[in-house]
Amino acid sequence: MKDNTYIPKLAKIIQIKEEVGGARPIKTFRTQFIQDNNFSFKCGQCAMLSVFGKGESMISISSTPLIKDYLQFSILKMGRVTSSLHEMQEGDIIGIRGPYGNGFPMEKWKGKNLIFIGGGIGLAPIWSVLHTALEKKEEYGDSMLIYGARTSKDIVFKQELAELRKKMKVHLSVDVEEPGWEEFIGFVPLNVLEIKPSPKNSVAVTCGPPIMIKFVIQNLKALGFEDEQIYTTVENKMKCGIGKCGRCNIGLHYVCKDGPVYSWAELKNLPQEY
Amino acid sequence: MEKVLDKKSFPQWVKKLSSYTVYAPVQEDEVWNYEVITNPEQVNLDFPNTVLSPKKIIFPQREVYLEFSASNEDGLEVKEVLPEEEPSVIFGVRPCDARALTLTDKVFGGDFEDIYYWKRRNQVALVGLACHTPPSPNCFCLSVDGSPFSKEGLDVLMSDLGSKYFVEAFSKKGEQLINPAKTLFKPPTEKDKKELDKNRTEAKKRISRQIQNIKKIPPKLKGMFDSSLWDEESMSCLRCGICTYLCPTCHCFDINDEIFSSSPLSGKRIRTWDNCQFPDFTMHSSGHNPRQGKASRLRQRIMHKFQYFVERYKNYQCTGCGRCISRCPVGIDIIEVLDKVSSYEG
Amino acid sequence: MVNLEDLKKEAKTVLEEGKVKYIIGYEKSANGLMPVPGFIKSPEEVEKLIWTPACVYNLTKFLVDEKRRKSREKKPDERPVGLVVKGCDSRALVVLLQEKFINRDDVFIIGVSCEETGVIDEKKLIKKLKGKKAEKIEFDEKDNFIVTTQEGKVKIAASEVLAERCLECKANSPVIYDVLLGEKAKRSVDNPFQSLEKIESLPERERWKFWKEQLSKCIRCYACRSVCPMCYCDECVADTINFAVTADTTAEEKAQKIKWLEKSPVKSENFVYHLVRAIHLAGRCIDCGECERVCPLDIPIRFLNKKLEKDAKELFDYEAGFDPEQPSLVSSFKDEDPEDFIR
Repeated sequence: MKDNTYIPKLAKIIQIKEEVGGARPIKTFRTQFIQDNNFSFKCGQCAMLSVFGKGESMISISSTPLIKDYLQFSILKMGRVTSSLHEMQEGDIIGIRGPYGNGFPMEKWKGKNLIFIGGGIGLAPIWSVLHTALEKKEEYGDSMLIYGARTSKDIVFKQELAELRKKMKVHLSVDVEEPGWEEFIGFVPLNVLEIKPSPKNSVAVTCGPPIMIKFVIQNLKALGFEDEQIYTTVENKMKCGIGKCGRCNIGLHYVCKDGPVYSWAELKNLPQEY
Repeated sequence: MEKVLDKKSFPQWVKKLSSYTVYAPVQEDEVWNYEVITNPEQVNLDFPNTVLSPKKIIFPQREVYLEFSASNEDGLEVKEVLPEEEPSVIFGVRPCDARALTLTDKVFGGDFEDIYYWKRRNQVALVGLACHTPPSPNCFCLSVDGSPFSKEGLDVLMSDLGSKYFVEAFSKKGEQLINPAKTLFKPPTEKDKKELDKNRTEAKKRISRQIQNIKKIPPKLKGMFDSSLWDEESMSCLRCGICTYLCPTCHCFDINDEIFSSSPLSGKRIRTWDNCQFPDFTMHSSGHNPRQGKASRLRQRIMHKFQYFVERYKNYQCTGCGRCISRCPVGIDIIEVLDKVSSYEG
Repeated sequence: MVNLEDLKKEAKTVLEEGKVKYIIGYEKSANGLMPVPGFIKSPEEVEKLIWTPACVYNLTKFLVDEKRRKSREKKPDERPVGLVVKGCDSRALVVLLQEKFINRDDVFIIGVSCEETGVIDEKKLIKKLKGKKAEKIEFDEKDNFIVTTQEGKVKIAASEVLAERCLECKANSPVIYDVLLGEKAKRSVDNPFQSLEKIESLPERERWKFWKEQLSKCIRCYACRSVCPMCYCDECVADTINFAVTADTTAEEKAQKIKWLEKSPVKSENFVYHLVRAIHLAGRCIDCGECERVCPLDIPIRFLNKKLEKDAKELFDYEAGFDPEQPSLVSSFKDEDPEDFIR
C-alpha cells in the first residue's frame, strides 16, 4: 500500500516577510521540512498547509522548484487557517502535504514569449513559473509581467519587483490614482490593452481575482490571442486535494487534481461553477 | 462455488465465523441498520432495506486521520491513526449496495489510494442477499445496470429458496467464509437450480419503477447546465442532507481539526461525511459561493451521478436502491427528475 | 374532510383575480400515496391540487424561501403568496407573524380545517399495511380511514394511523386565515401531553440512557432543522460557516467565530445540536411534528419540543401560535412568572 496522503510532513517556518499590511494583509512564508526535504513539485502546483488545531488550507507554491532549500507561500489573510498562519512566528511548525494539481504546462511553452498578467495575491502562482522561466531563459522567448493591485500598498514582492525590472519588462498599475504613482492607473485588464502584448508566438498566463481574469481574457482575445494561448488558474474550496472529497468540482473536473491550471480553451467549455 | 444451506443451519454458519466481526441488519424501533452481532441467533435476514447502506462500515461517517499534541522537542507531535486490522463480514448486503461499493472503490482508488478506505475494504467480506421481492417500493436497480441478484462487489450471494438458501461464492474471501462450515452446506440439486432461475425471473418482474431512456440522460444533461428545470425541481428542496447521506454511492467528505485542549494543544484531525446539498459545502472563505442556490445543488447531485461520474468512470453513480426517494422529506423523486430531463425541451 | 373541489375553486378564484403570485399547496405525486409540496402559478394548474389525509407537510416553511428569494429580486412582485394551511400550520404562521419574520400582507392564507380527523403517520400506515402499497386514502367520516391498495380496500381506525401530533391536537382548524374551508369541529383530545407521560415517568437515569441511545443514532443530516418553519436564521451554530459572511467580513471575524459543535456525529456533539435546536423552539414550537416525521433514524425529536411546550404552558401559561399580537414567551415578563429556577 502506498503512503498515507492525508498525513502532512512537519515543516518549520524559517522566514516571514510582511508584504502588505492593512485590512487585507499578505505575508510570505518560507518553510523547511524537519525530516527530509524531498518534495518535488511543478510550477503552479499547490500544497495543503496545516495549522494543527485550526485545519488545512490549499495554497499555491510561489517559489520555483529550482530552489530546493525551502518552499515559499504568499498568503492573504482570509479565514481561520490563514489568520492563524499570520499570527505565527519564525521557528513555528506547520504541516505540509502535497504537491497537488496539474501545474503549468511549461514543456509546451518552450520557445515562446511568456506574458504574465497578475492582480493582487494572484502574483503568487505566477511568481514560481516566472522565476523558473527566468532561470531557464535560453528555453523561452521574451518574458513580460503586467501586474496591478488596488493601491501601491497592496503590491506584493515590492523589492523583488524592483530587482526583476533588471531582467524583464515589468508594467505595474494601481486601480485608483494616488500621489507619487508614475505608472499606469486603472484596472489590470485596461493596462493589458495599453501595453498591447503581441500574440505572436506568445503564451499569456493570468492569475488574480475572477473578475480581473474575466476581463483580461476578453482583452487578450481582442488583441488576437487564441483560446489555446491563454492560461489561468481557478480556485474553489478544497479539503482533500486528491479529487475524492467532492467539493471543488467544476463539472467533471476536480480543480484540486485536474486543475488549478487551465487554458481558456479548456475552461470556457466547463460550467461557470467557480 | 454453488451450495445450498438449510435456513435452520444459518445461525450455525454464523457461529463458525467467530474469528470475524460480524455485521448484520438489526431492527431498532422501526429502523433497520447494520450493527455488530454478538449472538448468531440475532441475525435476521427478513428485512426490507437498511436506512444506511454498508457504506457506513467501510467509509464510516467519522474517521480519525491523525492525533496532534504539543511536545517539548519540536513543539509538536503528529501521530497517524489507522483503522484496526480485523477481518469482518457483513451479512444481508443488498446487491445494489454491494454494487455501490464497486463505485466508491473507483473513487477511493486511482492515483491516490485512500488508505483508510482500503484498510477497511480489504478486510471485509460481503455476503449478499438477493432481492426476491423489492425491499423498497422505490427500487429501480434494473434501470441503472443492476439487478436484484447482481453479484458485483459481493463475495457470497444468498438467495432465498423457501426453507433454504442457495449460496454462491465468487471470490477467495467468499470461499473462506464457507470453508469453516463446510459440513453445513450441500450441493444444490437440479430442482434447486430451477427454482433459483424461476425466482430470479420473477424478481425482475416485481420491480415496478424504472427510469425512461436512461442511456440518453448523460448526453442530454451535458447541455442542461443552465436549464430552468433545476429551479422548478428544487422548489420544494429543504437543503437537508438525507438524500446524499443515505446514498450508498455518495462519497463526499470534510476534514476538520477537533481540539480537546488549546493549551497545551491536543486534538485530532477527523474526516466526516459531507454533503453537496449543504450550502456551506462549496462556500469559499471569502463568502463567495459558486453554488449559491438550492437549484445549483440539486443540479450537482443529478449531474454528478448521471453525467460527471459516467464520463469519468463509465458507470452511473447510482445503483437504484431508492433510499433518496423513500426518505426525502418532501418527496423529491430522482426517477421523476430524470424522466423530466429525458423529456425536457428548451 | 373538506371537499377538494371547494379548495380548487378558492385557489382558482384568487389566481384568476391576480390576488396572489402563486399558491403553495399539496400536489399529487406520480409515485403513490404521499403528495408533494406544489407551487401553483396559474388557474389551469389548480387541477394539480389535492387534499387528503396524507397532506402532512407544514408548508409555512416555504415562506422562508419566498422571503429570501424576494429579497434578492430587483423588482419583486409585491403580491402575497397563497398558502394552504391546516390548523397546526396556521399556528406556525402566527409565530412567524408574531416574530415579524413575515408580514401579514405577504401571505394570503387558505385555511383548511382537518375537522374531526387529521393527517396520517406514513410510518404507522406502512407498518399497518404490511408491505401492501397504499394508493389512496380517504376518511369515512366515522373515524376510520379507507385505504385503497393494489389488493383492495382496507379499513383502519383513525386513531391507529393518525400522526401523534393529531392525537394531541390543539387546533384542528386554522386560527388565522383569509378564507376558511371546512367546519371548526374537532377531534376530542383528553390530554395534549399524553405522549410525554411514558418518558416523564421514567427515573432520571433511565431518561438519560434513553436520550443517549436515541441521540447517538443521529447522522446530522439536519433534516429536522431544515423542515422546521421556525428555523429561519441566516446563521446557525450547527453550520461550519457563518452565512452572513460578505466580502467585507474581516479575516479576524471569521477566524474568531466560535465552533460550538464539531461535525463528528458523536454523542457530545449530537447533544449540543439537539439541545440547541430544542431550546430555540421553546415557546415557539407549535407541534407540527415535521421534525420527527422527517428523521431518517426515527429519533423521537418531538418529545423534546413537546416537553418544552408543556413547561411553557405549566410555568407561564403560554401557548405558542394563537395570537399574532401576543408578545413572544422569551421576550415577555409577568410579575407572576415563576422565579424558583433562579438560584
